[in-house]
Amino acid sequence: MKTIILGLGNPILSDDGVGNRIAQELEGKLAQRQDVKVIETSQSGLSLIDLLADYDRAIIVDAIQTAKGKAGQIYRLTPDALNETRHVSSPHDVNFATALELGNKLGITMPKQIIVYAIEVTDTSTFSEEFTPQVKQAIPKCIRRIIKELNGNHHNSAKL
Amino acid sequence: MASCKATDAVFHVDPPPAAKKLREAFYSAHYIHSHIAHFYALAAPDFVMGPTSAPAERNILGVISKVGLQIGGEVIKHRAYAQSIQASIAGKATHPVGGIPGGMSKAITEEQRKDFEEKAKSCVEFSKFSLKLFNDVVLANKDYLNIITGNIYTMKSYYMGLVDSKNKVNFYDGDIRVVDPDGKEVVKFKPAQYLDYVAEHTEPWSYMKFPFLKKVGWKGFIEGKESGIYRVSPLARLNVADGMATPLAQAEYEKMYKTLGGKPVHATLVFHWARLVELMYASERLLELCQDKEITDPKVRNIPTATPDEGVGVVEAPRGTLYHHYQTDKNGMITKANLIVATAHNYPAMHMSIKKAAQALITKGKAATEGLLNMVEMAFRAYDPCSACATHTLPGQMPLEIVIYDSKGEVKEKLSQNLG
Repeated sequence: MKTIILGLGNPILSDDGVGNRIAQELEGKLAQRQDVKVIETSQSGLSLIDLLADYDRAIIVDAIQTAKGKAGQIYRLTPDALNETRHVSSPHDVNFATALELGNKLGITMPKQIIVYAIEVTDTSTFSEEFTPQVKQAIPKCIRRIIKELNGNHHNSAKL
Repeated sequence: MASCKATDAVFHVDPPPAAKKLREAFYSAHYIHSHIAHFYALAAPDFVMGPTSAPAERNILGVISKVGLQIGGEVIKHRAYAQSIQASIAGKATHPVGGIPGGMSKAITEEQRKDFEEKAKSCVEFSKFSLKLFNDVVLANKDYLNIITGNIYTMKSYYMGLVDSKNKVNFYDGDIRVVDPDGKEVVKFKPAQYLDYVAEHTEPWSYMKFPFLKKVGWKGFIEGKESGIYRVSPLARLNVADGMATPLAQAEYEKMYKTLGGKPVHATLVFHWARLVELMYASERLLELCQDKEITDPKVRNIPTATPDEGVGVVEAPRGTLYHHYQTDKNGMITKANLIVATAHNYPAMHMSIKKAAQALITKGKAATEGLLNMVEMAFRAYDPCSACATHTLPGQMPLEIVIYDSKGEVKEKLSQNLG
């Protein structure tokens, strides 16, 4: 199974870059895996179609902020959860759910399985390459869980 | 790109020709992906599906279903072409890292140039197709043409944009030209002189500032020659210029003004048409640059030797004129920065455009349907605004108060945060 791991975020905006950092660390750890490609990116919307095309499975790692979330909490989500929010990530582009639907509609081979690892964050507005303490602690945990996921194991985690 | 040019100015260094060509090629590719996304994902749904169509269909998925899946594939393909060129030149398409004071961090190879050239040719063809689609779907429909040129979406203002030495549209470099609501040039100035011509008004109810032409003055939210309110945008760039620097874009430019009765055009929804004329220009310009063998010259940087102090960089961002102004210490660390972004320039006009559309469309005794509200939003959407870019945020938490009144004007609820 060909898998892509996409770490999304802005790497110079504190916790917002947690997806990028996890992808960077996973890239080194998974260098021997021919079946896994790791990419960190700040792209969104229609660009995600290009990045996800022709993979069987996608693991997306991103920061999230929920109403009552605890910083550092890790959620494992499927695209159904994303349909709850049709909020655009950029005023200049389409949202993730629309990009996926469009890719499928156009006959592009989009991953059949999409899993989102979302890390609850607190600070996404300070220019910094450092993370807040709880988010920093969540990074190795999330990496372990993604590696387990690649090996066919995952434990049920907090729901949104 | 404005920050690249501002840092060149701070370090008093002029990049070599190949670096300037690479930057312009990168920037043309940026325009291609940005204009394609805006037209197909954000503007076309209002016209292909109709301004009052069901919101569930009024999106890019609806557009693709109606105009054909193959076209959807072409949209995705050409955006991807443009972004791959950006990433090849400057490391990444979003948050590029290739621009440094005095030039670029790396040159491109002959193999890359050939690849870009083929992609640019394809983008020219796709631009032709996009203009034909606009012609067939929008211009051929009299109702749409009436909406576009109707009074409710029209606003008479000054316009601002970059022009080259022949007064043709230029995205990367040139002088800033301002024309009045009759289309007459009122001033042409160098980027470093911007503070002599642009000032900013503030209102207590907004975190954004309201730029205006200093020599005309702030007269409030009013249209016309007496008011210093001006607009930037694809249409503004075409209004301030004497034409386009490439042949196919020039033909489209002439067709647009001929159809609409001459220059300047004040119809806000024509921003979309102008955006497609610019898509053609960006594609043709990218092709020209990729066919210029000098673009592979390995000399892509002049090392700065002067002590850094202060500089201004101006480009045309896809949404309009973008100013970056930095002051630094002798080590090049920024001590003061001022940015005026496209959405800020257009902010006063946006309020007026929305108000005019709302007052005309929402009338007493008539239900304000979702379709009507969308037609109000269309006045806003044409500007393709990014309020986040245009807001000067203060550190940390945003003070905010929301007051909800009932129909008699009595306060029903107050919500507030961080008011100190």
